[in-house]
Amino acid sequence: MIHRVAVIGGGVAGMQTALRLREQGLEPIIFERDTELGGKVRNWHQLFPTFTEAEAVLLPLRNRIMRENIEVRLRAEVKKFDSMSVTLTSGERVECGAVALCTGFTLFDARVKDEYGYGIYDNVFTSVDIERKFVDGEFKRWQGREPERIAILHCVGSRDEKVCQRHCSKVCCITGVKQAIELKKCFPNADIFNFYMDIRMFGPGYEELYHTAQREYGIHFVRGRISEASPLMDGRVQIKVEDTLTGRPLRMSVDMLILLVGMKGNSENVHFTEGTALRVADNGFMQPKDLFANNVCSQEEGVFYVGTITAPKSIGEVLNEAVVAADRIADYLKK
Amino acid sequence: MSFYAPFTLPFIVGTSLLFLIVVWRYVSWFFALPKADRRLFWRSIPSMATFKSLWEAVRECLLHVRIFKVDWRLGYMHASLAFGWFLLIAVGSLETIAYLGFEMVPLQGHVFFKYFAVQNGITEHKAVWDFVMDFLLAVVLSGVLMAWFKRLRSRSLGMRRTTKHIVGDKVALSFLWFIFPLRLVAESITSALYGGGSFLTGSCGALLDRVFGDTLLAYAYEPAWWCYSIALGGFFVAMPFSRYMHIFTEIPLIFLRNAGLKVASREKSYDNFEVQACSRCGVCIDPCQLQSVLNINDVQSVYFVRDRRYNMLTQQTAQNCLMCGRCADRCPVGIDLLSLRLNSREAMRNIPAERRYDYFKGLDRSEGEGRVGYFAGCMTLLTPRTMTSMAQIFEAVNEQVWWADRDGGVCCGRPLKLSGEVDSARKMMRYNTDLFRKHNIRVLVTSCPICLKVFKEDYNLEGIEVLHHSEYIARLIASGRLALHHTDDTFTYHDPCELGRGGGIYEAPRSVIESVGRLLEADHNRRDALCCGSSLANTVINDASQLRIATAVTEELDKTGAQTIVTACPLCKKALSRSATHRVRDLSEVVARAIVK
Repeated sequence: MIHRVAVIGGGVAGMQTALRLREQGLEPIIFERDTELGGKVRNWHQLFPTFTEAEAVLLPLRNRIMRENIEVRLRAEVKKFDSMSVTLTSGERVECGAVALCTGFTLFDARVKDEYGYGIYDNVFTSVDIERKFVDGEFKRWQGREPERIAILHCVGSRDEKVCQRHCSKVCCITGVKQAIELKKCFPNADIFNFYMDIRMFGPGYEELYHTAQREYGIHFVRGRISEASPLMDGRVQIKVEDTLTGRPLRMSVDMLILLVGMKGNSENVHFTEGTALRVADNGFMQPKDLFANNVCSQEEGVFYVGTITAPKSIGEVLNEAVVAADRIADYLKK
Repeated sequence: MSFYAPFTLPFIVGTSLLFLIVVWRYVSWFFALPKADRRLFWRSIPSMATFKSLWEAVRECLLHVRIFKVDWRLGYMHASLAFGWFLLIAVGSLETIAYLGFEMVPLQGHVFFKYFAVQNGITEHKAVWDFVMDFLLAVVLSGVLMAWFKRLRSRSLGMRRTTKHIVGDKVALSFLWFIFPLRLVAESITSALYGGGSFLTGSCGALLDRVFGDTLLAYAYEPAWWCYSIALGGFFVAMPFSRYMHIFTEIPLIFLRNAGLKVASREKSYDNFEVQACSRCGVCIDPCQLQSVLNINDVQSVYFVRDRRYNMLTQQTAQNCLMCGRCADRCPVGIDLLSLRLNSREAMRNIPAERRYDYFKGLDRSEGEGRVGYFAGCMTLLTPRTMTSMAQIFEAVNEQVWWADRDGGVCCGRPLKLSGEVDSARKMMRYNTDLFRKHNIRVLVTSCPICLKVFKEDYNLEGIEVLHHSEYIARLIASGRLALHHTDDTFTYHDPCELGRGGGIYEAPRSVIESVGRLLEADHNRRDALCCGSSLANTVINDASQLRIATAVTEELDKTGAQTIVTACPLCKKALSRSATHRVRDLSEVVARAIVK
């Protein structure tokens, strides 16, 4: 029996999987193509719904990986794999007993929706840019005029047939609420608007935060998708939107337009299916064996899925799933 | 001379019924026309239009020139049936005259002349006439053979797919297919028994005689003529109720059309002529991308027109069309397929929303009375790179511009018109027209071909010149106001439907591209260009289907090897950029990048 398990991807899913595998007495090896562990959470400032620092989640994971002496290969991109081995782009081949795919998702490229002017006008940002600005402390030393009005647009690249993204990315609603509160804290005089189709507050504490945002922070929620954005002479952005609850068209000039970009299945997912029984679902994410008792298993023996490779998920859900997957891998190797 | 025999009865009944029904229809349709339309027709007679119509009727109803242009085999098949049959009748009448002199001969006397010649004791045969009539019959029979063959293998006659017919059409078709073979049999037997006949009926008669013998043929003589008469009569009765109504209807259609009658935005009596002139030949099926890419086989123009004629049109069929015009461009009868579909949609969907447009009041916050009005169009507002490029171009030539729809204009109205909501569309058109007048513009430039089409066709913009941005830019270059860097970069151009087939603008965008780089043409271009698939006119197919159509188009554009795909419609740009591996740019972006500063 080979005890080595290849963990492809070193985000929160990969790290947690590796740690649990070690607890099970196995020998995980993490392949991460980036220069450090942590994945997309590294770019995040605070996490919903508790405003916990992202670093507070990442640091213990990283430290434990070090303490447990788990082998980590950085800048290691996997070229191909099967349940018995992993081949890197460098040509190196690593034998293993099972593979845990933790390659996550791709952020929707907001430039595809060019009607919102991302990459064309100044002052149009994505939710990721905003986190970056919080991390870099940019809002604390905000230059120039304090923003009067900020618009946050939900469902950019989610639930949008026009860009072939029909699924809900799940975490953007609560991210919008969280970022609105954070921005309000930075700019107490600003009016902050959330433009949404539906507000989906599925997790513990989410609904409460949504209410807090309205009651304590006076954040506005308007049901309606922004139809277009155009630049004004002074650098602000003019948006057009229909308030679908009152049925009135609305026009508004904002200092900042923030696009809550959704999650997209990785384009590499298609390559995983070549010569294997693995399948990509219609939404572009990997299709697990089933959505219930085998939701961390694939159609191929010895290949397991962890985290957002199969669907949009929150960090907490991913961490739980990693434990389940690691246990299933241990069961599989014992057989 | 007697020209009566019992077997002619089916023919006489069929012909009379046909005559009554057709005349009744044409007269009632004509008198149901609006007065203005009728006046147009009366004024056109006699005029140049009359001669034009006569010539067109010969060319299209008999010779089928336009079908020859689609495929020569298909053209021959139609011409041999139509023109061949016409000549059989015409030359047949001359034949009667040649034998009998100018004597009053009833219709059946001409049609069944071979039979009556024997009955009336004419024994002397004129070999030349026998030869000519045999030759014509052979021509028609070759057409019938091809028609049979086409049912089995349409591809061999230049059609990938052929029409799926309904029962009524199949009945009429069967009668038609049997008419000429039965005529051959009847005339051959007559030749065998009583002499005459040339290389066809004469030889066939001799053959039949050798195989069956005189006695048997004598028994078959009357029944053979009966069968021929029944086939004719049956066909004539089925004709007005089947697709063969087109045989006659195309003639009044040509005259009315040349008199200036048009399909309007609401259904009217004239549409009957258009609808019933459709022969359901199915030439419109192959060019349809819904068929070639998505395998949708029941919404093409032939089926739409058929369903409309028999009052069984569904929303599904009426709305599932890209309105790209590729079928209308090929229609051998020249039926205004797009307008017909639009007014069907109008009849089904035009529910005016009275209060929906209250927001127009106080919408105009724009200022200025620029010489040039620029109407970006909703789709351009969603592709802002085109807007910023146009701004750069206007700045480079120092044009005083009033931005028509940034702070005041509303939608041009064409999307609503396309979906059938004509009254709502009119509200928008009226509003925009007033706005243009208020700001006193002389030239209206738009970068959206969809807007362009409606400005030109439905707006009353007298005194204002309407230009597509490709024409406007081409003019700037020609007059030397705009100088561009010419490079070795390669471009390919996608013709937008509404600009090309819809507006007849093919060369302006090409000349602009050639002034910045090298243009590589795709396989389908100009009139034959493909649709990007994202047409506003289709509210049935979903996004994944639109993407499949676009992918087929971009594959072809990519094949040219050009570095950049250029188009001149914001909707096409959005559609193509979803599937292209090369970059997709609007014409204005390409120009703005090449401006000599």
